[in-house]
Amino acid sequence: MCDLFALCAAHSHCAATSLPLFAARGRRNVHGWGIGFFRQNLPVVEKSGEKVFQEGRLHASFQRLARVVASPIILAHIRYRSSGQVDECHAHPFALDFWGQSWIFAHNGEAGAIEPYLSRHLPLLSAGSDSARTFEFLRDYFADAASRRRHTPFLQILKEALIGLIERYPGEYNFLLSNGAFLWAFTNHRQFLLLRGSQKLEDALLLTTIAEGLSPENWQKISRQEGTWGKILLIAGGDLVLAEDLLPPAVEAIESSGQDLPGRLN
Amino acid sequence: MCELFAMSAGQNYTAQDYLPVFADKSRTNISGWGIGFFRAGQVHIEKSCEGIYAGDQVHDSFQRLARVVDSRIIISHIRCSKAGHQKESLAQPLSDHFLDHHWLFNLTGDFPKAAGYRSPRPIIPEELLAARVFEFIRDGMEAQLQDRHDLSLYQALAVTCKKLITDYPGEYIFFLANETVLFAFLNSAQVLIYHPPEVQGESLVLTTVSGGLTRDPDNWRAYPNADRSRGQILIISGADLLYQGHL
Repeated sequence: MCDLFALCAAHSHCAATSLPLFAARGRRNVHGWGIGFFRQNLPVVEKSGEKVFQEGRLHASFQRLARVVASPIILAHIRYRSSGQVDECHAHPFALDFWGQSWIFAHNGEAGAIEPYLSRHLPLLSAGSDSARTFEFLRDYFADAASRRRHTPFLQILKEALIGLIERYPGEYNFLLSNGAFLWAFTNHRQFLLLRGSQKLEDALLLTTIAEGLSPENWQKISRQEGTWGKILLIAGGDLVLAEDLLPPAVEAIESSGQDLPGRLN
Repeated sequence: MCELFAMSAGQNYTAQDYLPVFADKSRTNISGWGIGFFRAGQVHIEKSCEGIYAGDQVHDSFQRLARVVDSRIIISHIRCSKAGHQKESLAQPLSDHFLDHHWLFNLTGDFPKAAGYRSPRPIIPEELLAARVFEFIRDGMEAQLQDRHDLSLYQALAVTCKKLITDYPGEYIFFLANETVLFAFLNSAQVLIYHPPEVQGESLVLTTVSGGLTRDPDNWRAYPNADRSRGQILIISGADLLYQGHL
């Protein structure tokens, strides 16, 4: 199974310590790697179809990029192929424009049902994988909802898109999505591990799917709660700003209408 | 009533298209003003105890600052005479450093009971209601988030706001921002939000000024709150309203 990494801070940070640890602990993923970040609101993605770890050594380019890349938000992905070919094109993150902004996206999980999905919008991603189709599905939903941008909170559109995705294309979804200003993380299967205020790694918010975390510190485990369709995190400026459950459609509709639900904060 | 303004963008912007209109429409508030913003991770606040209008002109400094200040988040406050004080140092926005961030805060409403709050760490010693509310919010969020890295800022703020309107009933509208995220809380009246056309750049403008800050009030979406005992929180980052949460 692929693994995900994100660093988020209020100001530009390097991930020179945590990225190599992420690669080393995710070395079983042998089908490529990628690092994505933003420079002046434009996405920059460096990726490869080669192993991130080979013969006991970290891929030289990955190592150099880990030392050099500096940005308030850095995403990384190490791939274990479950869909599509093994090459640079199929490595993550991917980049697409929607909602008036550029976004980068990295995913892990198996969602074979979405592989035949045909996007109604351009451009199309050249990769033939469930991850590429998932990103296109989300892009399409936001593109179709563009006229609602002025009066609808982003999370409401995202929840609608995720419900549509899971209803029509059931599968395991676990992704990171960022426009450089903030980061959304979603999971309906694996857990995320989150750390703030590390004494051993970067002093930023760190997020990963590596089960043991990246250091012997107090990593918080965040996962989907029973009875929900997934967990959505909003991360910005080095903080966990919001953690929301994606509720089943009928419950989500009641929640959106503002009616009371058991367990609501009041 | 004092009036509030905030602008959020994905990159540094000036609020020169909106701050002069904000001043113009708040001209009856003659007791001071302030503009707060972020630069290189630090808070900068320029404030004055003079009227926002001098003769038939917007205050000279306010006009110049409106043209020059650029930041991802800009917050402004125009003080009404009901505020009951004239000192420049007591004008808003207020600022403090907590939870690893510099924060800006401005507030309007009617909340006399909040004067009773006594923080162990006052921001300023003077009897300033806005300071007492800011201290309450800060102390509450810190208490919520102490050793709870899995708790979100929203959750901490929501619990604190609920406690605020329970312990010190009143009518509150405030903006609370660090360099990345802006929270708007209200349990009365309304906040208006405007998303300018893309040709003017990617930003979001918020105000309490009735009718908004452009010619056509229909361009502004109102977020009203009628029930004082509940309230709502808006989360804004970059040029997007990300979330609307009801307490």
